[in-house]
Amino acid sequence: MRVLIVEDEATLADQLRDALKGAGFVTDVACDGEEGLYYGQEYEYDAAVVDLGLPKLDGMSLIRQLREGGRAMPVLILTARGNWQDKVTGLEAGADDYLTKPFQMEELLARLNALIRRAAGYASPLLEHGDLRLDTAKKEVRVEGKLVELTAYEYKVLEYLMLNPNRVVSKTELTDHLYEQDFDRDSNVIEVFVGRLRKKVTPLNPIRTVRGQGYRFVTEESA
Amino acid sequence: MKTGIQTRLLFTTTLVLGTCLGVGGYILDRSFQASVLAGAQEQLRLVTYSLMGAVDVQDDSVMLREEPPEPRLSQPESGLYAQVWTGREAGSWRSTSALTTDVPFPRNVRAEAPGEFRFTQVNGTRPGTYYLSYAVMWGAEDGAVLTFTVATAATEFEAAMRGFRRNLSLGAVVVAVLFIAAQFAALRWGLSPLRQMAEEVRELERGERQRLSVGYPTELARLAQNLDAFVEHEARSRTRYSNALENLAHSLKTPLAVIRNALGDQQDGQRELLTEQLQRMESTVHHQLSRASARGPLVVGGVVPLQTLVTRLLRALQTAYSDRGLSVDCDVSDELKVRGDERDLMEILGNVLENAFKYTSSWVGVSAQLRDHGVQMVVDDDGSGIPEALRNEVRNRGTRADEVQQGQGIGLSVAAELVGLYQGTLDIGDSPRGGARLTVWLRS
Repeated sequence: MRVLIVEDEATLADQLRDALKGAGFVTDVACDGEEGLYYGQEYEYDAAVVDLGLPKLDGMSLIRQLREGGRAMPVLILTARGNWQDKVTGLEAGADDYLTKPFQMEELLARLNALIRRAAGYASPLLEHGDLRLDTAKKEVRVEGKLVELTAYEYKVLEYLMLNPNRVVSKTELTDHLYEQDFDRDSNVIEVFVGRLRKKVTPLNPIRTVRGQGYRFVTEESA
Repeated sequence: MKTGIQTRLLFTTTLVLGTCLGVGGYILDRSFQASVLAGAQEQLRLVTYSLMGAVDVQDDSVMLREEPPEPRLSQPESGLYAQVWTGREAGSWRSTSALTTDVPFPRNVRAEAPGEFRFTQVNGTRPGTYYLSYAVMWGAEDGAVLTFTVATAATEFEAAMRGFRRNLSLGAVVVAVLFIAAQFAALRWGLSPLRQMAEEVRELERGERQRLSVGYPTELARLAQNLDAFVEHEARSRTRYSNALENLAHSLKTPLAVIRNALGDQQDGQRELLTEQLQRMESTVHHQLSRASARGPLVVGGVVPLQTLVTRLLRALQTAYSDRGLSVDCDVSDELKVRGDERDLMEILGNVLENAFKYTSSWVGVSAQLRDHGVQMVVDDDGSGIPEALRNEVRNRGTRADEVQQGQGIGLSVAAELVGLYQGTLDIGDSPRGGARLTVWLRS
């Protein structure tokens, strides 16, 4: 999951980046509105955390311009002022949730996870497909009720695919959303992860390979 | 309330008018009376002269050489009487008209000095009587003094005076009425700019107008300008004040967020203590800043349509809480309006509605109606309700922010505090569907 953080307070931005990294997210940090807009328009993100009080371009305009540019990722706004005028205007500008500073990191992570799930159409933190269950809160996967041991990267691949069901996800997309920028794109590490993942979740086989294009997590047999 | 300008002016002018009419009427009445009396005196003098021409004295008695010169003297009770007094009853003459009635000729009427007219009025009876006496030395040899007295009933003269007085008072009343009416009209016209200003200030208060209109008369133009300047200044300083507070909030809360997150990584015994103190600081900052940045009831402007406000808040909350799958019923008429600053009202309703969204299990109901010259908004949910301890905390608005626990309390105490500022009420009760019922009443 790649998340854009737009926060001008350097220390807080660092803390956010560390916390999100710790929770398995890949992050980009922009320290003003214009930079945030550039990142948001240039790259695809699964979510964004935007502070409303930003230099150069305020958070409200940033969100509005991202939405006008067709970016649909969920946006969580952070507001220090905490007044309802800001929250309502922010949500009307296109944000999906708000958090008042100071906040607890756990709450931010929970909200962010919920936003990403919601955007994928899941209502609960439990992603289910037949006997395959992925708990986004506990970060664990069970097949037929039995816990499956997954590495962090294998878990990320599975979660991303499950959050984007019935859609072809290319290897580049997976790389972009799951790894920091300096990752070697030419390596076949993705294929290795997917191969191991398939073995671990047998007898189910919901991950299909679409030749030359990427992978698809199939929930409907007809697809 | 002090007496109005119009009343004051009317009162003074009426007082002046009354005095003028009274004094003028009195003077006119007196002069008229004097001229009537002079006329009567003149009439009596003529009769006296002609009587003197007709009188003769023989053997100490007065007799007339011919018929009395004035026919009314021979006519009984004609109202004109005469007496010629010699000093004794015997020998004195009295006119026929006086014989049948008891004309109260003063018995000892004597002119002070011969050759002088003396006029007296006797008003004791109705009608009164006027007397004119004149004493003459009759004949040179014995020096007898004859006193001629002519009397007339005052009926005619009094009637003339009464008529005049009636006309005078009628005239005075007409003049007074006309004058007061004119005065009233002049006042209305003269004070109309003030009334217009009062009306415009009312519109300012209701927010239907941004500034006073131009074209006030010179005496008021400066006042209107100053009032406009004041209103503008107030609006500007409110904005500046709340912006400053919001900047303060921003610059306080971001470091607090940093400290809190930094603490989260620490693993030593102080952590709990520091976290607790930090929480107190956060609560205080949050609570006191919300309280301080509240703009409060406005002197001018600010009527907010409730429906728009509630709809915006509900839409925002539904976005933020969309994963809860809540059903929301909203019944707020578009005619309801609340007085106040939009941001304050948003703060009140936002906190109240958010409380319902946070703690409900599946449903939130919002309704509003007019009640007691205000708008009453009821927010219901079907959650587990609000614990008694928290209700008390919210009710005692004086509760210090750091005594309110994190969570449910803060939003509601901020709302309660603001509602108090607007002299409204916030009640916490039980919803018929099991959860909490929050009732907010605000002036409309």
